Formats: sequence, structure tokens, C-alpha cells
Amino acid sequence: MIGIIAKHEGISLLRLPITWIIAALLSWVFAFLFLQQVEVYLERQAELALLDHPPGLTAWLTTRFIAPASIITLLLGPLFSMRSFSDEYRLDTLALWQSSPVGTTALVLGKFLGVTAVLCATLSVTLVMFIGLSFLGTVDWLQVTAALSGLYLLAAACTATGLFFSSLTRHAMVAVLASLATLALVWLIGTASFTAIPIPGFQAASLASHIGGFHQGYVATNDVLYFVLYIALFLALTIIRLDALRHVNR
Amino acid sequence: MQTDLPLLLDARALMRDITPSVRVADISLQLRQGDVLGLLGLNGAGKSTTLKMLAGLLVPDNGHINIHGQSLSEQPNFARAQLGYLPDTPPLYPDMKVTAYLKLAAQLRRVPKKQLRTSIDYALTVCDLNNVASSRISSLSKGFRQRVGLAQAIVHRPKLILLDEPNNGLDPHQMHSMRRLIKTLGEEAAVIFSTHLLPEAVAVCNQIAVMHQGRIVAREYAADHGSNDAEPAQAHSAPAMFNRDELDTLFANLVQYGTPKAPLHPADNNAVSPYPNSNSNTRDTLDA
Repeated sequence: MIGIIAKHEGISLLRLPITWIIAALLSWVFAFLFLQQVEVYLERQAELALLDHPPGLTAWLTTRFIAPASIITLLLGPLFSMRSFSDEYRLDTLALWQSSPVGTTALVLGKFLGVTAVLCATLSVTLVMFIGLSFLGTVDWLQVTAALSGLYLLAAACTATGLFFSSLTRHAMVAVLASLATLALVWLIGTASFTAIPIPGFQAASLASHIGGFHQGYVATNDVLYFVLYIALFLALTIIRLDALRHVNR
Repeated sequence: MQTDLPLLLDARALMRDITPSVRVADISLQLRQGDVLGLLGLNGAGKSTTLKMLAGLLVPDNGHINIHGQSLSEQPNFARAQLGYLPDTPPLYPDMKVTAYLKLAAQLRRVPKKQLRTSIDYALTVCDLNNVASSRISSLSKGFRQRVGLAQAIVHRPKLILLDEPNNGLDPHQMHSMRRLIKTLGEEAAVIFSTHLLPEAVAVCNQIAVMHQGRIVAREYAADHGSNDAEPAQAHSAPAMFNRDELDTLFANLVQYGTPKAPLHPADNNAVSPYPNSNSNTRDTLDA
């Protein structure tokens, strides 16, 4: 059942022109960033050679190309998930799901997987660029895999956030703005230096502090666990919200 | 009603607060195959709320619902697999084609993969949608959209069909088609449909429940139903009490005075309604 819902959600998203426009713009921006960083690397190769442990091209790109891509992903997650439940409210289609033998958990998981799959497919243009690069030189695929794993986990986290806010309102734009505000807060909370009031929990709760390791090529268990818990939290909140609708007069 | 047939709907003592001052209460309905119940009432009488509770969209504050022997609260997925629901606004995705939409609805209702095609064809044929099967829903007229909404409710051949004002926005010809359709569906399943039009309820149903201020204030059974069509009426063991004059009077009072019974002094439109009153004659009819 989750697969059916995910497929429906994914196809619905692909039916929207805005999805293809975003994907096209994203490809253009990523291509620009990628080529720019390759050029910078080539220009500074002599300078880098003087270092004790000079970064390879892959390490250079994962930190200087994938990292900005992560920031863009923060915007994309809410944009892709904003309609998931808002449109159901707007079109009065939630009754179709609620009167069917479909559990709320299956509904939320299906929608989450559908949106995440389309978002990750859109972000996979970065993988295509590394594949292209492999024809011209050697690519450290383990490092690329680690960096892209982080990117996909971040995409899933952003989708879960967007899904939750989408379940709160019938206005997709409100859901986007609320999701962006939340993601910006959770991202920045770890980058701010609270020297006057040091609160170590802030660092641990931040998305930014858990994505850096992936960019550098290593996958830490605590970082993966953080993303899993983050995603589970927002999915659980969405399930609670939808279940609560059965107790609210509409 | 034929008591040898299994109960398809057994709802008892349903209660739900809508607002602090408005409550749907004391709703008890038992339906078997062949029963077509018209839920009749003015706007705000509690018809939609009742149907939403039966469809599982709203959890009742009190009471319980069994659909074909399955408890809606304890085994919601099993129970919901047995019901088809058409809300007052059909739950349609405008950018989907009719066939794709019905396929999704059938999959959600757990129709086996091998039977998907047959189920979709059944829904298309019964709802007379074959000519628009490959059309986008957004391109369809209001009447066709209503039919697509109905098709999604019956694509899995449910035992219980709940229709919330299915005639909304239909022209007289479409209303006639819908009437025949509901009668056809009533042969295989139990059907509840809500309406605020007495002639519609009388023409289609073999039972009528009149709702007022969240309660069923009268319940009438028809012994001879379906005189407009050639289909034979369902046999009912309950005595024939389908009294059109009584219903006309009751409904006219509802429309004119806002209460099922005319006030003693007709000028006093704000007279307090005697309902619900378990000792009244109409309540006796309900309990019969």
C-alpha cells in the first residue's frame, strides 16, 4: 500500500510543470557551480601541490560543490512537499484516503517516500556530473557516495519538515514559508556562537553540524542517527496531526 | 427488512458534539442488503456528520459502528474495505484521467491486481462513464464528476455505500439517472444517502430517516418501493408504514417552523420543539 501511495504522490508531482521548471533551473545552477569549482581547482593546482596533504579533485568538489547544493536542498524540500496535504485539503480529497483501508502511517510514509524519491532524482544531476568527470580523471567514488548520502538524507529531512507543515494548512505557500523558517532555524542554530550563554545542545540539534562529515567523506553513525530521528520526529508529528483530524469537526 | 440477511451496518447510539450547543446524538441504524435509507433533513440537521462518522472520517464521542461484522474502531482497515463513501464534494484529482483515478481508488480499497481491470470496467459501466474513461477529470461536467465520485465509491463493490447529497448540482435528467443508479446499487449492498429533498428520498429509498437538530425524529419504512421502475421491491418484515402524507406534513413543518411538529400557535415560530421525545408517535415508528 505504501508503494501505491508513493507512486501516486511521485506521479502527481511529476505532472506539475513547476517540478520540471525547478529541475531545469537546478541542473543549470548545479552545472554552473560544478564547472566553476573544477576551474578553480585547476587554477590553484600548483598552489595546492605545496600542501602536505593536498585535496584531490573529488574532495575539493564534495566540500565546495556538494556543500552549496545542500543549502539549495533546504529550499527544495519544502517546495516539493508543500502540496502533499495542502492540496488534499484544498481539493477535499482527504476523504478518499480516510474512508479507504489505508492507515495514517501508511499514508504519511507513502507520501514521504514519493516526494523524497522525486527530490532525490532531481538532486541526482550531481551524480551525473561526477560520472561525466570520471571519463576525464579518477573519481573517489566512496567519497562521492558519502557526500551524496548526506545530500539525500538532508533532502529526506527537508521533505519530512515540509510534509508536516503541509498537513497543518490548506495554503501551500504558508506551508513553504513555515518549513523554510523552521529549516533555517535548525540549520543556523548550530552555526551561531553563543559565547555568552553556551548551550551545547544547540550544536547537537543543528542540521548544519551533522552534514559536514558527509561532505568530508566519512559517514558517522551519530550523524545518520540524527537524520533518522529528525525524519521520524516530523513524520510522527504529521501522523498525529492527521489522526487528530478525525476528532475535529470539519 | 429480511432478518435472515447479515447486518451490513450496525451503528448504535452514535453521539458527536459538533459545537458546544449542537450535538448529533442517539443515532442507531441497522441495515441489511437491499436496504436503501434516505437520510432526510434540512441543512445543519447532522446528516453529513452522521455519514462522516459511518465512513470513519470522524470518531464518534460515544457509540459503536460495525460494518459487515467488523468494528470500525477496532479493525478500521477491515471495516473500511467494506464501505464506499461519496462525500458532498467528490474527492477528485482534476489532473488525473478517469480510468487512472478509478485504478487508484480500487488499489486503495485492496482490490486484487488481477481484478483491477474488471472492477474499473464495472464502475465505468454502472456509472455510465465509458465514453469519458480516458478524459481528464478537469474536463468533465459537474454531472460527470459526480458520477466519477460515485464510481470511486463502488469500484470495489462495497457492502455499504454512503452517499452525501449525491444529487447536488445535478440537472433533472442527471438526477433521474442518479436515482436509477442508487436503486441498482441497492440491490447488492446497503445504501444510505442524504438529501434535503423529500421527493428524492421517497423515489429512491425503501426507508427514510428524518433528522432534525442532530437526532433522528422519524423513521419510515416502505413496503412497496420502486414503483417508478420495473425492479421488484425488497421484502420487508416490518409493517408497511410508509406514509407519504405524514412525511409531507412532517417535512413541511420542518421547512416552515423549523420543528417536525407544527407549534400549537403557528404564529409562534420560535416554539420549543417537542423532539427528541421517546414517547412520541414518531419515535415509536423509529423503534418499531
